[in-house]
Amino acid sequence: MANVKYVSATRVYAKDTPPAVDALDLDIRDGEFMVLVGPSGSGKTTALRMLAGLEPLDGGRVEIGDRDVTFVSPKDRDIAMVFQNYALYPQKTVAENMGFALKMAGVHKDERARRVREAARLLDLDDALLDRKPKQLSGGQRQRVAMGRAIVREPKVFLMDEPLSNLDAKLRVQTRSQIAELQHRLGITTVYVTHDQVEAMTMGHRVAVLSGGNLQQCASPRELYENPVNQFVAGFIGSPAMNLQTVPLADGGARLAGTVLPLPGPIQTAAKAAGLSELVLGIRPEHLHLANGSGELPGDVMLVEELGADALLHVRLPGGGDPVVARAEGRRPPAMGQHVTLHVQPEDMFAFHPVTGARLAG
Amino acid sequence: MAVIETSAAAPEVGIRPRGVNRRERWQRRLPLLPALIYIVVVTQIPFLVTLWYSFQNYFWNIPGGAHWAGVSNYTAVFTNAAFRAALVRSVVMTAIAVIVAMILGVAFAVLLDRKFFGRGVARTLIITPFLVMPAAAALVWSGPMLDPNFGLLNWLLEPFGVNHVAWLSTHALGSVIVVMIWQWTPFMTLIALAGLQSQPAETLEAAKVDGAGAFATFRELTIPHLRPYIELGILLGSIYLVNTFDQVRLMTNGGPGTSTTNLPFYLYQEVNNAFDVGGAAAAGVVTVVLTIIVATFALRMFARVFQFEEAGV
Amino acid sequence: MSATTLRARSADPRRVREMAGRVGWGIVAWVVSIGFFLPVLWMVITAFKPESAAETWPPQFVFRPTLSEFSLVFSGMGPYLTHSVIATVGSTILVLVLGIPAAYALSVRPIKRWRDGLFFFISTKMLPIVAAIGPLYVIALHTHLLDSIWLLIILYTAMNLPLAIWMIRSFMLEVPSELLEAARLDGAGQIREITSVILPITTPGLVSTALICVIFAWNELFLALNLTITNAATMPMYLISSVPQEGLYIAHLSAAATVASIPVIIVGWIAQRSLVRGLSMGAIK
Repeated sequence: MANVKYVSATRVYAKDTPPAVDALDLDIRDGEFMVLVGPSGSGKTTALRMLAGLEPLDGGRVEIGDRDVTFVSPKDRDIAMVFQNYALYPQKTVAENMGFALKMAGVHKDERARRVREAARLLDLDDALLDRKPKQLSGGQRQRVAMGRAIVREPKVFLMDEPLSNLDAKLRVQTRSQIAELQHRLGITTVYVTHDQVEAMTMGHRVAVLSGGNLQQCASPRELYENPVNQFVAGFIGSPAMNLQTVPLADGGARLAGTVLPLPGPIQTAAKAAGLSELVLGIRPEHLHLANGSGELPGDVMLVEELGADALLHVRLPGGGDPVVARAEGRRPPAMGQHVTLHVQPEDMFAFHPVTGARLAG
Repeated sequence: MAVIETSAAAPEVGIRPRGVNRRERWQRRLPLLPALIYIVVVTQIPFLVTLWYSFQNYFWNIPGGAHWAGVSNYTAVFTNAAFRAALVRSVVMTAIAVIVAMILGVAFAVLLDRKFFGRGVARTLIITPFLVMPAAAALVWSGPMLDPNFGLLNWLLEPFGVNHVAWLSTHALGSVIVVMIWQWTPFMTLIALAGLQSQPAETLEAAKVDGAGAFATFRELTIPHLRPYIELGILLGSIYLVNTFDQVRLMTNGGPGTSTTNLPFYLYQEVNNAFDVGGAAAAGVVTVVLTIIVATFALRMFARVFQFEEAGV
Repeated sequence: MSATTLRARSADPRRVREMAGRVGWGIVAWVVSIGFFLPVLWMVITAFKPESAAETWPPQFVFRPTLSEFSLVFSGMGPYLTHSVIATVGSTILVLVLGIPAAYALSVRPIKRWRDGLFFFISTKMLPIVAAIGPLYVIALHTHLLDSIWLLIILYTAMNLPLAIWMIRSFMLEVPSELLEAARLDGAGQIREITSVILPITTPGLVSTALICVIFAWNELFLALNLTITNAATMPMYLISSVPQEGLYIAHLSAAATVASIPVIIVGWIAQRSLVRGLSMGAIK
């Protein structure tokens, strides 16, 4: 069990190109499930590989258990990794795959077999599968073998690189909870990389959002959702995504599609202090309420996505611009083409600097 | 990669009319026919003629043409010590050459698998012996390389106490085998290299994280991965190496004595020098039969090599 | 957000080790490569020597180069060269003409018993040609093909066809099935399918295959030696003839060997990638 620290960790691939990971500072507590999330190219996988020792650091350092491992080779870091494509050894059986690291460490055959069986049981892998080769397994089974290979080692840190991305949707949801539960049971510090923000939100104790090699925000899922620190985080976390539009400032509020929406005081103050004439307005779909005629935002329903319990309405506001997405009751949603009005509470609105993306008065 | 094939005129009804099926089948066979007929004519006819002649008494230098000889040619072949010796020698030469070439090939492939300065040029140099005309290789090794008085090898080995060795006299078989190895190692290298480069990088990284050093990774992962490639190399290499003729003819002419006479050279001598068409034919047939037997065993052992990708339906 | 100072690579012990390893590896690889290539190098060097400088002890590395041996070689090789070119090019073209449709019938639109077909072709290569040389001679004699360039073309084609079919077939199997299905939906028949879809995509593979056929045909000695004398004698034969029964010959031999081998060597070097593809990938699938 160990904590993990990134201290100003930097990775630059080619000279004079922007860093893949730029001075990352991250403290991961012992036993924590930390998710690194971000779009492709955000540096999350690179950061993970730096922790694994598969990528060298061009600046800063990485610590595992308060020990500087920046120059230590992967096998001496006491870590285990689950790769995106599982990277199972094709010519070895499942048991041999799972026991490989132990064999390399010189663990005796019987002890190896015992630990492999234990891990297999933990992961619900049938004993019969132990003698099969990877190509005889289904995708889900392979994924579990990859996890088993990591678990068997009882390492200080688990590293997982998008382990669910190759599974079909249903299996993904199922395995997600299994992984979270497993981590809770074993209590091993886990660093988990994904591009899927739903995975991030449901699995992590804390989530680190990365973009362009930079850490945007690291906080609990709830904190990220309710208090995004900039426009990127606000728009990335939450599904369906927050409605974001650049709107001009008007007296006492912001003008959205011809209507002036009153902005909370702090936002107005911050906007004035920054000398802004416009800002990026952010409203989550569930905060756009269908008001029967009395809402301040009129619009026409372009599309209704019926999800069963909810319905997502894509509403086009007057004055053009992108349609906004509003969440409505699933039972009797408006029809396509229908004219509706939407209402939003001022305190539910987010505002971001139009240039830097930083949150105004958060 | 499976090619999904739908019958050309599959009607909506479940039952396919038989006529369409037959036409489709012949349509598919048509492209194969020219090559098939060609090969059958060019290879099977001579073989049948060989078979016929093997039962004939036919000497070039004796007028009168061919007479029926029953199985006398065959008994001659089986009792002929020279034939048996040539056969054994062929097997030995091929086996040694193939195995050593493969070992070197894997070693060279490992060398070439990592990036280093001028890797492309190094690879070009290593490939070249395969491109050199075998006849040219044989002559160059005989003369400029192995000549007892002027050869480069003797000069290179002089510091090690080697003194003007007449390689082609004292180590004739070894010399010929060396040239065979020299020319076929590039082939093995390229096959092994393809194998090495087809190893998924992720698996190697997983091994690194799992604590495997370079040797352990090579032993546990790379060699098993290379196995089908190695088997293919051995199979293909054997097919070509067992027919080695040029080097024997040009370096040692089968000698000294018959110490380097392999099967192809022996048969050549039978025809050319002994003028014994019948005898050579019988020896040839025996060779063919032996080859088929060996090949059948080899194919069964190396069944994996013929991983015929599932062609379409 | 970044004004980070980057650490020098030399400060990272792992990377230093890696770089040192790479340099060491490169040195070993180069020593091995040059050593392996040495006979070829020596052949070419010796070719530029006057005969007197070729037969010395110790072997000379510094000498006055001369083209006299080369001019001797060039003056004598004319017809041999022509025959080699005709036999090689002719047989390679024939191999492609026969092999492409055959490979097609064994891969993209396979016949029912494609495995047997493939095996049959390969099996013909397993039977040593030496076994049939006597009867071949007799047949050639009776069909008036002895010492004819056509005989060589015919035989070389048969010699290379099995491997060519195997290789072309594996390249054809790489054509994405979606492209073929799209073409079929567009109404393409077999011929159109081959010419518009398969040939363009497999062109690199066809080049590799042709290259290998050229190499084997150009270098072939046994058949040429036994079945030709003057009218179809090829470069390998010329090479043999350049070894006199007695007298000095090492430089001349080297020149002849160099000239004989150079075409294939240069072609192999230029199309190296094709060659590598062909030898390694074409044979394995």
